[in-house]
Amino acid sequence: MDKFEHKLSLARETTAKLKDAIGHVIVGQNDVVEQTLWGILAGGHVLLEGAPGLGKTLLVRTIASCLDLQFSRIQFTPDLMPSDVTGTNILVTAADGSRHFQLHKGPIFGQVILADEINRATPKTQSALLEAMQEHACTIAGKRHAMEEPFFVLATENPIEMEGTYPLPEAQLDRFLLKVIVPSPSEDEMTEILNRTTGRDRGDAPRVLSRDEVLEMRALCRDVSIAEPIVRYASRLVRASDPASQGAPDLVRRGLRYGAGVRGGQSLVLAAKAVAMLDGRAHVAFADIQRVAKPVLRHRLIRSFEGEADGITTDQVVAALVEQVPTRPENVEKAVAK
Amino acid sequence: MANPESAKETKFREAFSRWARRVRMRLSLGVVLTGVTVGLIAGAGGAAALWKLRQGTLRPWAAGAGIVGALVGAVVAQRRRWNDAEVALFLDAKLGANEAISTAVDLGKDPESGSSKSKKDKPYSDQKSKADRRRDSDPAQNPGYFVVLNQATEALEKATAKRVKTRVLRPVHATLPLAIGAIGFLSWIPLPPAPALPPPPPGAEEVKLAEVKGLEKVIALAELNARDDAQRERLKKLAEDARKLQQKLKEGVEKREAQAELAKIKDGLMAERLSLGEGEERQGLENALGKMAENSDLKDAAKALGDRDLTSFDEEMQKLANKLERQDRERAKKTLEEAAEAAKKAGAQNVAKALEEQKKRLDKKGAEGDALKELAKELGDSLPDDAKEALRDMEKSGSPKAQQKLAEKLDDALKKLTPDERKRLADKMKKQAGQMSPDQMGEGPSKEDLEDLAKKLETAEGMKELEEQLKDMAKEDPGTGDGQREQGLEDAEKGLGEAEQQLGVPMPVPMNGGKPDGKGGKDGAGKDGKGDGKGPGDSGGKGDAKNASPGHSDGGGPGDHKGQTGVVDGPGMKARADGKVNAGKPMPGITMGRTRGRPGETANIRGTGALGDAAPSEIGGVDRSVVPEEYREQLGRYFQPK
Repeated sequence: MDKFEHKLSLARETTAKLKDAIGHVIVGQNDVVEQTLWGILAGGHVLLEGAPGLGKTLLVRTIASCLDLQFSRIQFTPDLMPSDVTGTNILVTAADGSRHFQLHKGPIFGQVILADEINRATPKTQSALLEAMQEHACTIAGKRHAMEEPFFVLATENPIEMEGTYPLPEAQLDRFLLKVIVPSPSEDEMTEILNRTTGRDRGDAPRVLSRDEVLEMRALCRDVSIAEPIVRYASRLVRASDPASQGAPDLVRRGLRYGAGVRGGQSLVLAAKAVAMLDGRAHVAFADIQRVAKPVLRHRLIRSFEGEADGITTDQVVAALVEQVPTRPENVEKAVAK
Repeated sequence: MANPESAKETKFREAFSRWARRVRMRLSLGVVLTGVTVGLIAGAGGAAALWKLRQGTLRPWAAGAGIVGALVGAVVAQRRRWNDAEVALFLDAKLGANEAISTAVDLGKDPESGSSKSKKDKPYSDQKSKADRRRDSDPAQNPGYFVVLNQATEALEKATAKRVKTRVLRPVHATLPLAIGAIGFLSWIPLPPAPALPPPPPGAEEVKLAEVKGLEKVIALAELNARDDAQRERLKKLAEDARKLQQKLKEGVEKREAQAELAKIKDGLMAERLSLGEGEERQGLENALGKMAENSDLKDAAKALGDRDLTSFDEEMQKLANKLERQDRERAKKTLEEAAEAAKKAGAQNVAKALEEQKKRLDKKGAEGDALKELAKELGDSLPDDAKEALRDMEKSGSPKAQQKLAEKLDDALKKLTPDERKRLADKMKKQAGQMSPDQMGEGPSKEDLEDLAKKLETAEGMKELEEQLKDMAKEDPGTGDGQREQGLEDAEKGLGEAEQQLGVPMPVPMNGGKPDGKGGKDGAGKDGKGDGKGPGDSGGKGDAKNASPGHSDGGGPGDHKGQTGVVDGPGMKARADGKVNAGKPMPGITMGRTRGRPGETANIRGTGALGDAAPSEIGGVDRSVVPEEYREQLGRYFQPK
């Protein structure tokens, strides 16, 4: 067996173990778990959105506990300040009586960051994450501090329509690789959750992945090949999400004000690579792009007033894009269809 | 031992090439087949056109359009040939390979050119740099390359012809056998009947006449005594034209050309007949006619002269010589003298000459006529009845024929006289002459004429001379020089008429044919000579129904108009026929105004040819007309003869 093929196989096994470990704590939510893993393996940040009590925080805590990584939790509240997130220099009196500033690192200096209820803080505080998320570094009092790899943010938020929430700025949203919608559990899942959480013992997730393994899997994900036509397809999808572009579907023109940008395209390819890797393939398929399109693009599309008034959701727009943007050149598409 | 990684690459490339070749071949086949189909459909159309155009031998060649279509299809197929990336995408889709083949092809591209390592692949542009390409196909830098190759090769090895089949046949190809069948059918069926040739234009047929006697009369014009040198030349030219036409007719010539030539000669003849008093002599002629009009005896003669009918002019003068008393003759001579003088003054020398000649002739013929009548009266009852009748006719109408007849009978009667009877007759005449004064005017011959006649009767020589004289008078009078010339021209014109007859009907007349029941025309009431056509019905003629023509447009009744001349439905052809054309022969066509009908040319163009002529009575007609005075000058200028 080829070395790369072996790594792929190993990655699949490890991921399966990870899912299994998470499954000890989290009931159901397979898609949410899967998509969160895409984000981790692709090296991106994941935003989990769902109503309170659906296990978002528990999921992130479980994942963090399965990974042998430094975990930080930030509970976002309206009075949270940026320095509460990044940390600050404090004046310290030394034993000899001298005083100097000493950096007191904030919770952002971890490897797995749980930004719980991120939209409960003001945009000012939310923005404190921008640099860390994009550059994996944080500048405090003019000094740049690099994060320890792997570094990723798993944020949870309540739907923005809820009381006491602040919508995340576009720039902030764009930095999340994926936005995962956490659905309500089914009846069976709910029953299982009730059984598990109301007894004496609560399951703990074992550690499955070491830091190096996570880094290796991330590298493996980057090594997954993608053919030119597939990259072009990803480009066409992103471009078509711009209401001003020629190939934009009617729903895009009607329902959107702004489409996805370059980060959207990059995220599509990276997430698709993660999907391909978890599928045991060394290459990306059109189907992978289509599969990750919703979680990758849904939070990057800014609806227009008309779109909001008509109740057009970004998921509907992404579905329309996937349906209407052709994957292959026209002549090949015709020949395939016959 | 071969490098296993290189072997993987080769294996993939071979498998891919095999299927790519098949896919491309089928795609090309489809395009070529479409080209053949379109070509053959066009060929079938061409075969149909060739069949319609009766190009029998070319019809099977229409199938060649199929070959042309195939070539065009091949060219199009080559231009549309898929590159490796397109083939790979197609194979991925058909084999469900999750784009493994596309990725393998993409990764396996030549790092330098960016095109596939497959030799036949056309350049495929992409956005990757050479460095990216090198990394793609470098196992050290792209560890997944051979995994992708494996997965792609595996997918290709599972491929079957059925799974990667491209569609060759399209709905349009269903017309291929139909097109072939159509070409075959159209090549097989007999050609359509040839369309009837359009009738040749009137007169286009060739005529060939070995002998045209009528033209001889025109050729004889060369010998005619001309009025002057210019006329002699013109007559010679006409004779030469006639001779040439005769020659052409012998060799064969288009009928319309011959008719046109005849018409030209006829125009020339007509112009010659009208040449007396034409042009500069016109005013002189008018003056002379004006003088002649003052003498009522010369009215008919003046009309004949005005019409330039010099034969009639001679005849009229002969009649006057026979009919008029000596006193009236003297007055007529005087009038002629004045007319000649007036013509001379206006510079019309030819007119003056003709009038003077007539004056002399009137004198001479009058004397002869008087002597003839006197002799006849003296013979009295010894004359036969027909001679007496001829005498009465001569006295009454002055007919030259009656004169000739009388001269003939008198000759016979004189031959039957005995010498005694002749002596008595001579004596009687002498006695009668003796009773006459020298300048006595009145009825009968003059005193000198009577004495001369008596002298001739007395002697045998005189008698012989008298007989000769009577024989001459019994012959037809040749007339004056102008009259003879006119006669010659008239003969030539008749000759032309005969020639036209020989050629056939000269000119078609535009008119609508009658209905078989003879009820043509619009509301025409028949007018057959007896009925006036204004009745409510059955006022039609007595003509044969088979030969019925359309009725006349005048009249109000619904008669059947049998036996009538058909309505001429020509555009604006308001005309009156001039029967002088081809006297005694059928009318050749329609004439307008005063012009004579001229076969072969138009007679309905105002102001050309003979139409420019005006009759003497029409000179100054505008001033006498009802045209308002302020318009007369303008109108007069318009109608001024050219």
